[in-house]
Amino acid sequence: MAEFHAGGEGRTDAWVKLYGQAVYAGDVRVPGMLYGALVRSPYPHARILRIRTEAARSLPGVHAVLTGEDVRYGTYGRRVRDMPVLARQVVRFAGERVAAVAAESPELAREAAALVEVDYEPLPAVFDPEEALRPGAPRVHEAPWTYPGAVTGPEDPPNLQSRRVWQHGEEVEAVLARCRYVFDETYFVPAAHQGYLEPHGCLAWWKPDGSVEVWASNKSPHRLRAQLSACLGLPPDRIRVMPLYVGGDFGGKGSPMDVPVCVALSEATGRPVKLVLDYEEDLSCTNPRHASKVRVRLGVDGEGRLRALDVRAVANGGAYAAFKPAEHVNLNGFGEAGNTYRIPSVRIESLIAYTNTVPRGHMRSPGSLEANFAVESTVDAAARALGIDPLEFRLRNVLRTGDLGTLGEPWVEARGEEVAQAAAAALRESEPQAPVGRDGGRWARGVGFAFYCRAAHGGTTEVALLPQPDGSLVVRVPFPDQGGGQHTVVRNVVQRELGLPAGFVRVEQADTSQLATDSGVGGSRVSLTASAAAASACAELRRRLEEEGLAQLPVQAALAELARRWPQEVVRASVSVDEELWVNSVCVQAARVAVDRDTGQVRVEELVTALDVAEVLNPASHRAQVEGGVVMGLGSALLEELVLEDGRVVSTNLHDYRLPSVADLPRLRVVLVPGGKGWGPHGVKPVGELTNVAVAAAVANGVADAVGVRVRRLPISAEEVYQLMHPREGKA
Amino acid sequence: MTGAVVELWVNGEPVRAAADGAEFLAEFLRERLGLVGTKLGCGIGVCGLCTVWMDGRLVSSCLVPVAVAAGRQVWTVEGLVALAEGRVHNPPPGLPRPELVRAVHRAFVQCEGLQCGICTAGQVWAVCALLSEEPVPPEGRVREFLAGNLCRCTGYQGILRAVQQASEEWAQRAAP
Repeated sequence: MAEFHAGGEGRTDAWVKLYGQAVYAGDVRVPGMLYGALVRSPYPHARILRIRTEAARSLPGVHAVLTGEDVRYGTYGRRVRDMPVLARQVVRFAGERVAAVAAESPELAREAAALVEVDYEPLPAVFDPEEALRPGAPRVHEAPWTYPGAVTGPEDPPNLQSRRVWQHGEEVEAVLARCRYVFDETYFVPAAHQGYLEPHGCLAWWKPDGSVEVWASNKSPHRLRAQLSACLGLPPDRIRVMPLYVGGDFGGKGSPMDVPVCVALSEATGRPVKLVLDYEEDLSCTNPRHASKVRVRLGVDGEGRLRALDVRAVANGGAYAAFKPAEHVNLNGFGEAGNTYRIPSVRIESLIAYTNTVPRGHMRSPGSLEANFAVESTVDAAARALGIDPLEFRLRNVLRTGDLGTLGEPWVEARGEEVAQAAAAALRESEPQAPVGRDGGRWARGVGFAFYCRAAHGGTTEVALLPQPDGSLVVRVPFPDQGGGQHTVVRNVVQRELGLPAGFVRVEQADTSQLATDSGVGGSRVSLTASAAAASACAELRRRLEEEGLAQLPVQAALAELARRWPQEVVRASVSVDEELWVNSVCVQAARVAVDRDTGQVRVEELVTALDVAEVLNPASHRAQVEGGVVMGLGSALLEELVLEDGRVVSTNLHDYRLPSVADLPRLRVVLVPGGKGWGPHGVKPVGELTNVAVAAAVANGVADAVGVRVRRLPISAEEVYQLMHPREGKA
Repeated sequence: MTGAVVELWVNGEPVRAAADGAEFLAEFLRERLGLVGTKLGCGIGVCGLCTVWMDGRLVSSCLVPVAVAAGRQVWTVEGLVALAEGRVHNPPPGLPRPELVRAVHRAFVQCEGLQCGICTAGQVWAVCALLSEEPVPPEGRVREFLAGNLCRCTGYQGILRAVQQASEEWAQRAAP
C-alpha cells in the first residue's frame, strides 16, 4: 500500500479507492488463471435436445467446455435450492446458463462460447404471475415443492414460489363492510435492476488439495460459503471466501450467482478461473426486482379515520426462487403496508409466482417500495376524494408513540408526526419557482407527501482486535464494505470506545477462515450488529489490559505492550442481536412537482426528505446513504423499468435502462429530526433502506395535486400522465 | 505478439500493442498492463467508469480501439496518482496540475464523494478535467460536465460538494 498524501480522515476506504487500488472481483489476478464465459438460452422455456461442444473444444487455448451433464454438484440458492449450476434437459428463462467455457483469454472464451451449438425444442411458457397461478398454466417446474428449502407443497398451485399473509385485528372483510368509504385501487411496480455499476464477477480456484478459494462480488461471505457448501457437497472449512471490495450491491449481490459454475470450470481445468459478466448479461440474466401488482382496499369511517386495510400483492418471481433469502421466501416489505398509521384491522397477502422470466431477487428494501407506492397513493386518493388535505389526513391517522403497530408491533416510539411536520416546514421555507396549483399556465405545480417506516433488525457478527507493536489497532471484520460505510462505523466505534486518536485504528476484512460467524450485509442491520460487536470487543480488550496491569498506561502504550507480550493473541467478540427489536426509523418525503399540461411531462423540482435519527455513528456516511437512497427512489419514480417482452429482457444496457445522472436531479434537502430512540448502547437506527422507498409515492401524489390525475404505474411517464389527462384521446 | 504492432504512451511510458483492432483500450489497460484502477462498467460508453485521459481530453476507454490510441498519450488513475505525488517529471501539456489533483482528492475524502468506489476513478478524472478547464464552474456547467459519470451510491450530492470545495481551494491557490 502506498503512503497516501495527507488529508482529512474520512472513510476507511476513501484513499484506497481514490488511488484506484481497491481490488474488486474483476481486478483479481492469480497466476495461471483462465477466463470463463457462458452460453445462455435464447428461449424462455425449452427442452435441450442436443449440445455440440466439439468446435468450441477444438479451439487452441480452450481448456474446458461444460454442460449440465458434466456438473455433479447439486442445485443452489439462498433459501430454496432450485437453481441448477448449468441447465439440465430444460431451460426455464431466456438467459439461463446452458454451457460454460474456460479459456486462456476473455476473447477466446467468448469466441468458444459462441461456437457451442444447442438444439432446443421450445415449450409453452408463462410470463405473467397471475396467469402462472391459474389452473392449467404451463408449469415452470414439475414439482417445485421438492426442492430443498421450498416453502410450498403439492396442494399449492404448481407455479407458487411463496405465499405470505400478515394479519392483525378484527377480520378485515367484516370491517370493510362496515366502513363508510372503501377505496379500491390497484398499482403496478415493474421489474428493475439494482443498478450497481460493477457487474457480477468471481474467481474460483479448486486447489490440488481439494479446497476451494473464492473471490466474488458478494456482500455476505459467510452465507456464500454456506450456500456453496450445500451446492458443492464440500464441508464449509474446505471453502475460503476471500476479502474483496464490492462495487455496489443494493440487494443484488447477496447470492452465489455464477460462483458454482466458476468452481466447476476450475475443478475441470485444475486452474483458477475468472468469470466476469458483461453489463448486458448482468442486466438481463441475474436477479432484478420482482414486478408486482398490488391491490389495496382501504376502509375509512365518517370522521376520516382509517379503519381497515386489505392488501393483495402478486409478484413475478421468475424462473427460480434461489435469490430470495428470507425465511418465507417472500418480500418482507409487503408486511410494512400501512405501518405508519393507526389501522385497527389489517390483512396483507403476498403471492410470488414462478414464471419463465429472469429469476428475481432483492432490491434495496425489497417489497417496501411496491407496498408503499400502492398504499401511500391510495391514502392520498382517499384524502382527495373526501376533500381533506392529504397531509392533514395522514396526520389525523398517523401512528403515535404508545400505539401498537398495524401488526401489533410494540414499537418503542412512532415519530411520524414530528417528522412530517419537519418535512412540511422545510417545504414551506423554500420558495416555489411559481405558484402552486392549477394556475392556467403550461406547467401545473403540486406538492405530494408520502410516509414510510422501517424496522431495525438484528443479526450475528464477530470482530477481532489485533493490537500492533506501534500502538495502533487492527480490527478484523467478517463483512465487506459494499459502499455503506460499515467499516468506517466500526472504526469510529472502536476509536471512541478506546479513546484512540485518528489514524490508529485500521479495519480489515477477514477471509471466512479467520472469523466464525456473520449474517452478512443486508436488511440495514450491519451498522447495528457491527457496532455492538466492536463495542463488546473493546470491553473485552479493556478487561485484558486490566488483567495485564496495563490499564493505567496511555492507550497506545498499553496496546503496544500487549502486542509485545501476546504477539499472536487477538481479542474477539461475537454478538447475536434479536431479529425483532421494535426500533424503527420514520421517513417522510415531500415532492414539489411540475407537470406540463401539453405533454404530460413530469418534472420534480424539489424533494425534501425528513427522517428521524437517534445517534449517528458516522455523519458523512449517514448523509450519503440518505442522499443516495433519495436519488435511487427518484430513479424508481421517473426512469427505471427493466422491460420484458415475451419473457425476454429487452432493456439491453445503460443507454435504455436509464439510471439517474447528476443532470437529472432536482433540488434535494435532507432534514434530520434528532431525539429518536435507537437500539443498543450506540442508539442505532437503520438508514440504508429508508429514503429510497417513499419518493415514488410522493412524486405521484404531487402529480395528483398538480393536475388531478392518479398515476398507478411506475415509472411515471409523460405518456401515461398525458393519457390520464386526456382520457378520450387515449389508446384506441 | 504477431502481426502489426502499435506504440502508445501510458502514464508516460511507451507500451506496445497488437494493431489488429480487436482490443479496446479499457481491456488492454486492465488485462495486458494490469492497470486495474480503470474500471469497466457498461462497455458502451454510458457509465463513465472507464474514463481515462487521452491527448488532452477524457474518453471512455471501453470505446477506443487500441489502434486508435497509437502514438497518443494515455493517462489512467495510476498516472494521476503519480502526478499528485509529484512522481511525474515533464508531464504532457493539458494534464491537471498536481496541486489540483490533491485538492480534488482531499475534497472527495472530506465531502464523502465516494461510497462503493467503482465509479471513483472516473469521477476524479472528470472533476480534475473540469476544474483544469474552468476553476470556478457554474452549477449548471458542473452538472453538464459530470452527467457522463454515473454513480449509484451517493446520489451525487457528496460529489457536488467535493467539486465545490476543490474549486474554492483551487481558485484561491490560482489567484495571484
